[in-house]
Amino acid sequence: MNSKPTSGSTLTRFNDQVQDRTSAVISRIHVSHGAGRMVLLVLIAFTFFTALNPSVFLSLLNLQNIALASPEIGIIALAMMLAMLTGGIDLSLVSIANLSAIAMSTLYATVAADNPAMAEELMPVLILVGIAVGLVGGLINGFLISYVGITPILATLGTMQIYNGIAIAWTGGRTLYGSPESLTVIGQATVAGIPVLFVMFVLVAIAIGVVINKTPVGLKIQLQGANPIAARYSGINSHVVLMSTYVVAGLLGGLGGVFFLARNPTASADYGASYVLLVIVIAVLGGTNPNGGFATVSGVVLATLTLQIVSSGFTAIRLSSSEYAIAQGVILIVVMVADQVTWRRRRRRAPTRARVLASRT
Amino acid sequence: MTSPTSTYAQAPVLQVRDIVKTYGGVTALSGVSLDLVAGEVHCLAGENGCGKSTLIKIISGAEKPDSGEIIIDGIAHTAMNPSAAIKSGIQVIYQDFSLFPNLSVAENIVLTAAVAERKRIYSRRVSRPSAKAIVDELGLTLDLDADVVNLSVADKQLTAICRALVHDARIIVMDEPTTALTHTEVERLFALVETLRGRGVALMFVSHKLDEVLAVSQRVTILRSGKHVITSPSSEFDRRSIAKHMTGRDINDARVVSTLAADTPIVLDVEALGLRGAYTDISFALRRGEILGLTGLLGSGRTEIAESLFGASPAEQGTVRVDGEVVSLRSIDNAIAAGIGYVPEDRLSQGLFMEKSIADNMIAGSLDSHRTRWGGLDTGKVRATIQRLFDRLHIKAPNVSAPVRSLSGGNAQRVVLAKWLANKPKILMLNGPTVGVDVGSKEEILDILRGEAAGGMSIIVISDDAPELVASCHRVLVIRQGHLVHTLEAEDITVNTILERMAE
Amino acid sequence: MNGFELSKVMGVVQRFRGANNEGVLAIILLALIVGMSIANPAFFTLTTFFAIVRSSIVSLIFALGVLIVIISGGIDVSFATIAIFAAYSTVRLSQSADFDPGLIGMLAIALAIGGLLGLVNGAVIARFRLPTLIVTLGTQGIFKGILLTYIGSQYIADLPASLAAVSTMNVFQITTDTGRASLHIMVIPAVLLCLLVAWVLRNTMFGRGIYAIGGDPEAARRAGFRVMRTQMWIYVIVGMMAAAAGIIYMIMGRSANPRDLVGGELDIIAAVVLGGASIFGGRGSVLGTTLGVLLVQVINNSLILAGVPSAWQRTAVGLLLIVGVGVQALAAKRSSREIRALVKEEVPA
Repeated sequence: MNSKPTSGSTLTRFNDQVQDRTSAVISRIHVSHGAGRMVLLVLIAFTFFTALNPSVFLSLLNLQNIALASPEIGIIALAMMLAMLTGGIDLSLVSIANLSAIAMSTLYATVAADNPAMAEELMPVLILVGIAVGLVGGLINGFLISYVGITPILATLGTMQIYNGIAIAWTGGRTLYGSPESLTVIGQATVAGIPVLFVMFVLVAIAIGVVINKTPVGLKIQLQGANPIAARYSGINSHVVLMSTYVVAGLLGGLGGVFFLARNPTASADYGASYVLLVIVIAVLGGTNPNGGFATVSGVVLATLTLQIVSSGFTAIRLSSSEYAIAQGVILIVVMVADQVTWRRRRRRAPTRARVLASRT
Repeated sequence: MTSPTSTYAQAPVLQVRDIVKTYGGVTALSGVSLDLVAGEVHCLAGENGCGKSTLIKIISGAEKPDSGEIIIDGIAHTAMNPSAAIKSGIQVIYQDFSLFPNLSVAENIVLTAAVAERKRIYSRRVSRPSAKAIVDELGLTLDLDADVVNLSVADKQLTAICRALVHDARIIVMDEPTTALTHTEVERLFALVETLRGRGVALMFVSHKLDEVLAVSQRVTILRSGKHVITSPSSEFDRRSIAKHMTGRDINDARVVSTLAADTPIVLDVEALGLRGAYTDISFALRRGEILGLTGLLGSGRTEIAESLFGASPAEQGTVRVDGEVVSLRSIDNAIAAGIGYVPEDRLSQGLFMEKSIADNMIAGSLDSHRTRWGGLDTGKVRATIQRLFDRLHIKAPNVSAPVRSLSGGNAQRVVLAKWLANKPKILMLNGPTVGVDVGSKEEILDILRGEAAGGMSIIVISDDAPELVASCHRVLVIRQGHLVHTLEAEDITVNTILERMAE
Repeated sequence: MNGFELSKVMGVVQRFRGANNEGVLAIILLALIVGMSIANPAFFTLTTFFAIVRSSIVSLIFALGVLIVIISGGIDVSFATIAIFAAYSTVRLSQSADFDPGLIGMLAIALAIGGLLGLVNGAVIARFRLPTLIVTLGTQGIFKGILLTYIGSQYIADLPASLAAVSTMNVFQITTDTGRASLHIMVIPAVLLCLLVAWVLRNTMFGRGIYAIGGDPEAARRAGFRVMRTQMWIYVIVGMMAAAAGIIYMIMGRSANPRDLVGGELDIIAAVVLGGASIFGGRGSVLGTTLGVLLVQVINNSLILAGVPSAWQRTAVGLLLIVGVGVQALAAKRSSREIRALVKEEVPA
């Protein structure tokens, strides 16, 4: 890193150094670009809708609505991000969340039928039950993926059908009503104008961020996604890594169910059916590499906010949810294409490497 | 430099003239020329990264040169594309063969030709006989209906050769064809090459293995750092002169080995180790501070022994003791717990996380020992480890957050080495520690190993690079067909004895 | 039994199993049918059979499209949206312009729309080499949005005359003692499409190119296949097949609802995977896919007859998928270990 040219071919050395420096800068940009790009998108979306209809869009109620609608989607998107970080995917998350909400609502209603006061007091237990349902769902996914060896997309496609089927059979396809008053109160409470659910979401996001970037297991998850074979030869136990990833994803799914119920005291098997694909959109938009190895929590949080801002902005300027669906798709594809184009340009600067001796056994 | 045309008066079928190719700021080829005559085997030799692969890609039309031209039968092209190259009779057999694993042997053989002929309909009934004709003509035994995914590496290569011939290829380029073959398979390949040459095919044989270059070719062209160094009949070369042209300096056969005291304790004791189908009855001991060579031809079982000791493919018989205690090596976790580390053979796919930072790569194997009391990553300790290894291994990189992809082969290999040194293993095994590494780095890597051994680490070097074993090992074990056949010591360790014992 | 005979028997077994376990699938299907017929004689009737066939038609056409994409190494979740987009737009157009170009004309319009939407998918995927799941996820949203915003969101109860005319047409109709059994005319295009796709996949260079790309895209490029163009065509064809399925769906349902079909994409993908197609590309067959679709339909039908609440259908299909893929995954794990041992054993020890 000594910049003083010392010997013979001074110019070449200098050139090399410039090249090294620029590639270092570029690589740093790439690391943080998921988040950086999303800050920009949030700002653009925000100013755009403020300019179009400031009175409605900037109202406290609208802003609170954005903050209130984000957590349940965001928390499932974080779970999706985790699965994608290992190079997998988890299609069963929304089914897990619904199953958790249904379990909680059913338990509450059963107890409340005999003793409403006691059911009310059960609130903390109910939350634990909801999270436990997520844990079980995640355990099953993790077992199928890490020990049986089923490809994540197929394993979770199957469990999605199973969890969803159980939910349908359980509720008979009806919407269940009932959840403790105190949970609903939490769901609607605000701290300094910010909804409690949103604060909880941010706290969970920070926790996940710390886990992936600042703990051994988090780094193992990243490395497992970046190159599973090298991870194995580095002594990283893929069974443990995949298992813990899908269990945490399941837990977050269960927590998502708690959020569902806190925001709305009803539970049904087909709530948030559109979320399955939406959370993939959010995760990818937030800079998660679907092939694994790279993701940022802040990117995913900001992507959640962007889509919610666009959604409520569309409502503010009286556009329909269908038009929002168009915007969602366009944003996803434009961002992906832009990413790909810059990636290729950057790639072209570096010499292409010889192909790996993959055929060796 | 001898003019090639004076030796071979015949008109060349393929000429490349002054090819220049740069990627970004890096020059891969700077004005390379060479020509190919019918009925000759022309070797293109050079160290990894000298521009061989780039030249092949340009000839096959996979890459376009910045300037220069390709002349086929007197017609000049400034650039090719894959179909035009195939139509001109050029066939490239890539190192990875580029076969379709999900299709049958017969279909793999005929499909490329059918594409080039712009056929629309594919008929199994027509294509199978034409595949069979080629296979029979070359006197090969290949199951035409087997899926390629189930074939051995050698059979995959034969399939690729048959495919090249089905389209009346006049120019066949083989990229590192012998890398994954056993000794007998290599001989079979060379016999086939001779047959093809007899049919008037011009062959270009790309290799960095000196013996092969001399055994198979009539002429040799050597590249070094993208530049043409020399083209001459192979009779004018020997191992030493080729190596000199390739590296730009003389090879050093000297041994630099410390002396071990007679009472040095045994660290690793392997007794009657066996794995069905891979190796049998392997026993040896490794002492503290010793560098032990483990050599043999590809497929001899040398890699399998190392992978068993690392728990990657556990042995079925035998016992292993580390510091006198019997250890069970059923998994990689077991091996690491027993203090065994392993730098695998294939750096790019097994050793490195190419897109991840240098720092992440360096601590990938020792994450659990960089843990704070609260279970988090101890960033201070991580930084200290990385700095220590960076200095220790002289890794040249702008900063530790750059992706490993940006490093040269030598520096990338140091990163893999750093990953294991961070773990402070008692025993470190390295499989092909200097494959694809430039000469300067090679010496330095061996020096690092000597230093670690002097510091008390025991090292096993798995390699078929004889000079490297001579230069660094206290003892060399020779494995043949799964058996430990020789243990070479002290003055017995020379390049010649190692090569003889390996192949005899 | 000597080694030669053994290997001959193994060969026959192997051939019966088929490249993608079609044989195994056929046996499971057969066992299920026999089992159900014994348990409930009402199952083994022409009425039930025709009902199963009828309910398979649309799924089967979708599945054929998904099969092509999966063989090429991709995955498509936008086909259901394309189907309803193309079919509903066609009906809407004919209705608002008060113009009925006849069955063939209608179909041509729908195919053109479907092909165009498929081209959008193919262009983005091939040109920018983006992950197919994510791209089709995005376009699915865009297509759905455009349909509901700009084309129409109203349920149309009466189809144009040319379509309505075929709605009640049967190939075959008999009255048995268990009721009236009829085979809908739309089974004909479904069977024809099966044969056509099977032929294209086996006997054209385009079809072999799809397998080649799914096996190894880089090798396909080096072999001279025009990968980008083939990929574009794949998505155009899938779009057109989806459009055909959409029209057939509306004919059989005798109405046009822009909110139908969407949401069942993953069920179709599950059926194709059950039918032996590899999610990693390069493997799959029309026969297997057909068996996969039929198996799902038979299970749904048997559950109803067995008195299991229809709510459990999804769970059953999910379980079947997990068991099917899980067994394959475990077998692959074991065989990779065995192949290693076998190959090594050839080295004389």
